[in-house]
Amino acid sequence: MLLHVLHRTTFVYAGQARDSFNEVRLHPVDDALQACRRYTLRLDPVAPPLAYNDFYGNEVQYFDIPGGHSRLVVEAESEVETVPDAGRPAIPTVSVAELAASPEREMLAEFSTGSHYVPLEPEIWREAQDALAGTRGDVWGDVQRLSRHVYRTFSYRPDVTGVSTRATDALKLRAGVCQDFAHVLLGLCRSMEIPARYVSGYFFNRNRRKGEIEASHAWIEAYVPGYGWAAYDPTHDRAADDHYVKVAVGRDYADIRPVSGTYRGAATRELRVVVRIREAAERAVSA
Amino acid sequence: MSLLNPPYEVGDFFDEMFDAAREVRPHYRRLAEQLGRLPEADFNQHRTAVELAFLRRGVTFTVYNNSEGTERIFPFDLIPRIIPATEWKRIEAGLIQRITALNLFLHDIYHGQKILRDKVVPAAQILSAKHFRREFMNFSVPKDIYVHICGTDLIRDHAGQYLVLEDNLRCPSGVSYMIENRSAMRRAFATLFQTYRVRPVETYADNLLKALLHLAPARDDKPNVVLLTPGVHNSAYFEHTFLARQMGIPIVEGRDLVVRDAHVFMRTTAGLVPVDVIYRRIDDDYLDPTVFRGDSLLGVPGLVAAYRAGHVSLANAIGTGVADDKVIYAYVPKIIKYYLGQDALLPNVNTYLASDPSDRKYILENIAKLVVKSANEAGGYGMLIGPASTTEEIASFRTQVAAQPRNFIAQDPVALSRSPTWCDGRLEGRHIDLRPYILCGEKTTVTPGGLTRVALRKGSLVVNSSQGGGSKDTWVLQGDE
Amino acid sequence: MPPPTKPPAARPQSTVMLSRVAHSLYWMSRYIERAENVARLLDVNLQFLLDFHGLTDASRQEHWGSLLASTGDEVLFESHYDTADSRSVTEFLAFDARNPGSILSSVFAARENARMIRDQISSEMWQAINELFLFLKDRTAEDVWTAGPSEFLQHIKLSSHLFQGLTEATYSRSEGWEFIQFGKFLERADKTTRILDVKYHILLPSAVDVGGAVDTAQWQAVLRSASALEAYRRFYVREILPWKVAEFLIFSDSFPRSLHYCVAQVDEFLRRILGETAARPRTVAARASRRLLADLESLAIDEILEEGLHEFLVEVQKSLDRIGDEVVQTTMFYPTELGPEEQQHQQQQ
Repeated sequence: MLLHVLHRTTFVYAGQARDSFNEVRLHPVDDALQACRRYTLRLDPVAPPLAYNDFYGNEVQYFDIPGGHSRLVVEAESEVETVPDAGRPAIPTVSVAELAASPEREMLAEFSTGSHYVPLEPEIWREAQDALAGTRGDVWGDVQRLSRHVYRTFSYRPDVTGVSTRATDALKLRAGVCQDFAHVLLGLCRSMEIPARYVSGYFFNRNRRKGEIEASHAWIEAYVPGYGWAAYDPTHDRAADDHYVKVAVGRDYADIRPVSGTYRGAATRELRVVVRIREAAERAVSA
Repeated sequence: MSLLNPPYEVGDFFDEMFDAAREVRPHYRRLAEQLGRLPEADFNQHRTAVELAFLRRGVTFTVYNNSEGTERIFPFDLIPRIIPATEWKRIEAGLIQRITALNLFLHDIYHGQKILRDKVVPAAQILSAKHFRREFMNFSVPKDIYVHICGTDLIRDHAGQYLVLEDNLRCPSGVSYMIENRSAMRRAFATLFQTYRVRPVETYADNLLKALLHLAPARDDKPNVVLLTPGVHNSAYFEHTFLARQMGIPIVEGRDLVVRDAHVFMRTTAGLVPVDVIYRRIDDDYLDPTVFRGDSLLGVPGLVAAYRAGHVSLANAIGTGVADDKVIYAYVPKIIKYYLGQDALLPNVNTYLASDPSDRKYILENIAKLVVKSANEAGGYGMLIGPASTTEEIASFRTQVAAQPRNFIAQDPVALSRSPTWCDGRLEGRHIDLRPYILCGEKTTVTPGGLTRVALRKGSLVVNSSQGGGSKDTWVLQGDE
Repeated sequence: MPPPTKPPAARPQSTVMLSRVAHSLYWMSRYIERAENVARLLDVNLQFLLDFHGLTDASRQEHWGSLLASTGDEVLFESHYDTADSRSVTEFLAFDARNPGSILSSVFAARENARMIRDQISSEMWQAINELFLFLKDRTAEDVWTAGPSEFLQHIKLSSHLFQGLTEATYSRSEGWEFIQFGKFLERADKTTRILDVKYHILLPSAVDVGGAVDTAQWQAVLRSASALEAYRRFYVREILPWKVAEFLIFSDSFPRSLHYCVAQVDEFLRRILGETAARPRTVAARASRRLLADLESLAIDEILEEGLHEFLVEVQKSLDRIGDEVVQTTMFYPTELGPEEQQHQQQQ
């Protein structure tokens, strides 16, 4: 599927801002499951962005705006071709024991331990135990079961959590948005010793109702030996398919903030985010 | 009246001045003679003069109990610690070997991570280390040197063998005391200095400046080196201003620097002046709010970007803390072997890792006999000295170790060596350690001597300034006596 | 064996001056001068009222009102206090932390600034400010009033002199010195205009009072506030005439507290700070300073009295403000105070 993504973040200040230094993680990845055909970053005020790849391989663009400005607009526009479902390899059945014994596990240590947004507290472990009803199956099967558990027992509510809500808080509220669903699922997988990481990106909702707010989306990837990172979305209870555009990965939200920075001056009066995901006309595929 | 009467008790420890037969060691003979001849009144006079000098010169450190900090003089004992040349040679070689290996280790950790793939050091230890800076991965640093300034703490065991207690690779402090102590000793014991040939430590500032200049990104003008301090509220502020003055470089705070176009500048009355090298005494976490802690007001937004672009150099580099983690400490002998193919010249203290199941079992069973340390605390905090602790303290640590094994190590208590120290009118043995300072520039140099810290409280093993420690001047001799 | 080596002399400090350091030196200097001047004003006027038993309550209140008006803090005072009398005004000008121009506020601010640049000033200088700070911290308005304010105010003045003397004796003649002197004389010039202005605010006396004991005593108080009584008498041997007092305090080029003298110093140091070497000033600040100095060199007292003394003094205050702001803007490349408007913020989405 060819998808067109627009992601515009506008900061309006209650006065002037200056000495603004920012990093953005907005560039969709190029991998086996998607190809980023086109990507543009527009900044207002204009500033030349530089780039580097962070620890997780995410492309980070950074820029600074020294002079006074009353608003900052960061707009990323991209065209991404996602590989259709038929073209995606199947996820193998790997037992939990095989996972535990796999040699790569050692290097994935940080995806099995606690992180800022996902502290591995006893209550998360207990939740995972309950969700799996005490029985372990294969890795991918367990991931799906855990995800289903979150999907069924949590309610999607945009008004109860905030950008700093951690998995343990969301667990108590049993509600939240995609970020919280992802954090909770990460906690459940990790306490069950399944290495899992946070994914930020976009979800193309074919059944979107007119006027429904579009936003960036969060889901997870779990490590399956012999396959790699397999993606699952607890908010929609489905494996990530060609409707998903992947942008960045990390331990949790703290590693993938789409836009973050510091500046000196007046406080931010308003933050507006506009996200638009549309299916673009299919290009003729040359043989 | 002699200071060595009534007789000094050596006790069941290695004593710096007296051997097992209570004979004065050769390199202490002249000192012993001098002390024997010195009337107590004169000695006291020297002592008070030195204290007064320290007070006036403001040789202090700040202790923060509430929001108001109190400035204290770091107590100084007039009896020097003397090290003969042959002994020092071995220490020096061991330290140079160690820092060379650690620099190679850091480069590897932040690039290919070969040592992790070869499973010499468990990847989990590094990846979950508090000071492992992901943001610094694949960064290229000037001359591939990560640690430019290192303070390694050494102790001596019962047999007089030097052991490494820990490395300090982030912002090691205490150098100013080392230099001030030497000044004080020269004034107080001028004649004694004439009888001994003591290697100078005053060259430290010069060597440090050379090491910093070595890092400068290539530019035609004379490179601008600055010292970045968190400011007056920092407990080591005195040392920051002292070093800046000794080197003749500007001392700046985060707000004095600004990044434009990935270049760092100083805000001066004459305009923006480019900065090439920053000797930073601010922890990584607070260096750049754009990349690290967003709420830090001590840092410079955009500094990491400028560093990444190679327009400014930092000493020490970002991320060195991963190698002075107390858990990684236990692997250092293996690290030396891996990169240099050599056995460690200076051994570690025997260490048990709580993250290892069999070690953990041993620790939990024998905790009352061991010294247990939290992996990331400094200054003697987060530490349990089993044999000197209450049942409650021991129980608390046992729970912590069981709950977060990755965060703890344990060591057999070492009977630290002792040195004669003036205590209320008589000389008594007090436990000491040694912190030599190593500078890695074009060459790696170890300042002859360093800071000898002494635990002033009777029987105490804790030498840190904030917990009742003091210091002595350290004399490394040109010869062996 | 080699002779004992002397520690190498510390290399001379780099000649570059951080904006922040210059800024702190400037404000430290201004705040100390401010504290001293407020102490002078208060001391003399308290003395004046004590000496004059014949004053009515109304005229006392008038007197204090005029003092407050000259400081420019009349409105602030009224928002916190009901009546202007010796006690309330003393408290307001000496101890009130809510008054940014009070002695307490000024000394605290001076010390804060000194602390920020502690390594730049001599330990004697630091000790002097710190001791003054401790002296203030340990006292309340109550204590001072019971013990008698005069001694307290004397102490403030002496401490300021001590500090300035130590600065003179121990601070290197460098760019830092220029900022210190610039700040000091700028503040002193401003305060001299206010000392002079006190008299304006007292309603013009009726024909009966001109030259009368009260009038003369009031003008004497003005001179005393500036420690200028003896100097005035040496200059104008005869009696104290209002227009001669004004003339002395505005135009004397030898008395160190007079406006002309201070502005000449301001101009001198400003030019050194801004690197103004040519005869014709380039920068806005230097031009403003040159204009002010020219006025003080060429105007005569009757021209000023014709225009109105008060109006003239207000214009001078405005010029001084402008000069101060301009120099700060030109030499400080970072926000002067990190107030709520200039704070560092995080932003993220």
